[in-house]
Amino acid sequence: MSDLPTLTLEQIAELIPEACGIESLDKGGQKVVFRGTIGKTQYALKFAKVPILPDDLENEDFPMSDVAARAQREVEIMRDCKSRYMVKLGPVGLQFTTVNDQAILYFSEEFVTGQDLRAILQHDGRFPPREIVKLGLHVTDAIQSLWELGKVHRDIKPGNIMRRDPSLEYVLLDAGLAFDIVGESLSIGPVGTPPYFSPEQFDFSNRRTVLDFRSDLFSLGVTMYEMATDQHPFWKREDTSRSLFNKITMFNPDPPHKIVPDFPEKLSDIVMRMLGKSPHLRYRRCQQLIDALSEV
Amino acid sequence: MPLVRYELLMAVLIQHGHGKSNKITAAFDNGSVNGVVFGARNEKPDSLRAYIDEIHDNYEDCELFFDPQFYVSTLTPPNDRYLPEYPYYESGRSASDFTGLRHVRRYAKDTLQFQADLGVSALLSPTIIFDSFSDRWHQIALNLADASLECHAGLTDPPPLLLSFVFAEAALADTDEVNRFLDTVTQDEWNMAGFYFIVARSEMAYHQRFEPSRLAQYLYLAHVLGAEEPNGLRVFCGYTDFVGILLRAVGAEAFATGWNHSLRQFHRGNFLQRRPGGRPARERYSSDRLLNSILLGELQSIFEVGQLDEVLSNVSLDDQITSGSGPEAATNWNRAVSQQHHWQTLGAMDDRLSGDVQSDLHNIVEWLQNADGLYRELEAVGVQFEGNSGRDHLRDWLPGIAEFQRMAGLTSS
Repeated sequence: MSDLPTLTLEQIAELIPEACGIESLDKGGQKVVFRGTIGKTQYALKFAKVPILPDDLENEDFPMSDVAARAQREVEIMRDCKSRYMVKLGPVGLQFTTVNDQAILYFSEEFVTGQDLRAILQHDGRFPPREIVKLGLHVTDAIQSLWELGKVHRDIKPGNIMRRDPSLEYVLLDAGLAFDIVGESLSIGPVGTPPYFSPEQFDFSNRRTVLDFRSDLFSLGVTMYEMATDQHPFWKREDTSRSLFNKITMFNPDPPHKIVPDFPEKLSDIVMRMLGKSPHLRYRRCQQLIDALSEV
Repeated sequence: MPLVRYELLMAVLIQHGHGKSNKITAAFDNGSVNGVVFGARNEKPDSLRAYIDEIHDNYEDCELFFDPQFYVSTLTPPNDRYLPEYPYYESGRSASDFTGLRHVRRYAKDTLQFQADLGVSALLSPTIIFDSFSDRWHQIALNLADASLECHAGLTDPPPLLLSFVFAEAALADTDEVNRFLDTVTQDEWNMAGFYFIVARSEMAYHQRFEPSRLAQYLYLAHVLGAEEPNGLRVFCGYTDFVGILLRAVGAEAFATGWNHSLRQFHRGNFLQRRPGGRPARERYSSDRLLNSILLGELQSIFEVGQLDEVLSNVSLDDQITSGSGPEAATNWNRAVSQQHHWQTLGAMDDRLSGDVQSDLHNIVEWLQNADGLYRELEAVGVQFEGNSGRDHLRDWLPGIAEFQRMAGLTSS
């Protein structure tokens, strides 16, 4: 049986009567995504299946499934994060209901018109340095705002960054895997996308490992490295999990200015510092990174 | 690109201990030190306050610190001298006295509040000695540091806060744990000005040896925290002796060393009650050429083979050792002069540092190689050195520096 809910446009219109022009967009992972207009603004309408029965919806003690907890975390972040470079919650907050005996959750999210960084990289290859700096500034701002909420994104990668049209600002998406340093972790074991893991994400089962925003800076550093050189600093297609782990935790890639002619050495140094193997080698505060990027 | 560290404003501090007499003022008058780390154990509270005021009145630019020596409270049986007169101190504390944040906060508050109006340049947090970066005492030390940060944030216009950590030399053997410690203390919510580190040496004997990989780890710690990049915090290292020069080269702001052996290196045994006795330490001469303090008898032998000039440190107090027909006949050379000379020598060595980590380490490696060559020459002409005066430390420091450079991603230039 599929983990994704099956919904018709009519069913969605019933659930969200204020939305019009609803069309199917995407399905994958744990959610199906539609686009709809509420008021005059387009929003992404996201739906996921949850393994709870209708009778238990009223039971506050009923333990939340991972899917539901993740969605709640994502919605809270979109609602509370002050950065303009973090995708925002739409007018429909997190809701639970049943449709055709499927227990589902849904919410709305800012619809970002533009392209994701993965697609741009595949199409255009290397980015000019000023664009890398801009992305660095925008996403670091989002990381800083998340950290002010006590949260670590844990899944920063090109596929989760959009370049918004027409402003060409970069927006960070999908805070569903965010880790709350105060609250409980959603999952046991590392979560996210391994080629973008920080070294400490591999060691997360060790309670004494420090996991904070500096982990996100590492993942952003990997992304910026890719933008700079059109190659991943660690991962190759033939890599196994073990070889990827070894590279991320032990291998030091060539700095971008050694690969790309005329690449600014200062920016290269910044990226390499973000790729420091231990948090204590990276930037101690987001503002330090922002200041360093601003000086490039 | 040179790794320029913190501006070289301060360097050598006196590690205060028992029997200060006029040693501190003489060192300030000589211009060989920049400040003092007072140890609570060796001064009554009122006497300490008065002395600090006196120093401030007479030496405007000096930097003064107060080590509350809270760590003595967990040693048994403690040799705690005047410590019981301090409001934050209580002997015989065990791990159970540190369970519950309420107690830990009180210890931090009492210790910092005592220092707040002393007129010191920075407050030093209370800490306890731990043997490993993964044992429960280490966690207690972190809790005390955390509580100190909280307390400091609530004080009105306090001096900056340095977090103190005292750990056994053997703790430096575990790289992963040291890295975790560094990750923890560099978290952005830890808003301190810097750190005060003491390494409790493994052996009671006084010598300059330092196991290479542990030395590398200590240098790495000082560098990661103290160098302008990545963290740019203020790092002070107590009881370091000659190793302090290496720590300065990699990013420490200052190091402290005292007037006798028990104040030049930290040994836990000095803070435990012992049977009285033992002979006084023999007089030594501190040579920057040998990077060691050698016995007066050994210096005499060097004089007799006509090589005295090769080992002199070329500081002003050398006049006292060359005033007679040989070092042992130098009537002006005595324990007090030897103590002052030690600080002068270290101060002169520190003055030769530039603030560029790679360049300074390159120069220090040359010093070590030259020292090794000089020892060999002297041995070849019949000068015999006792174990602790010999060149064994050079065989530790050279690989220690090389390993540090590898750990820090610095290539030797």
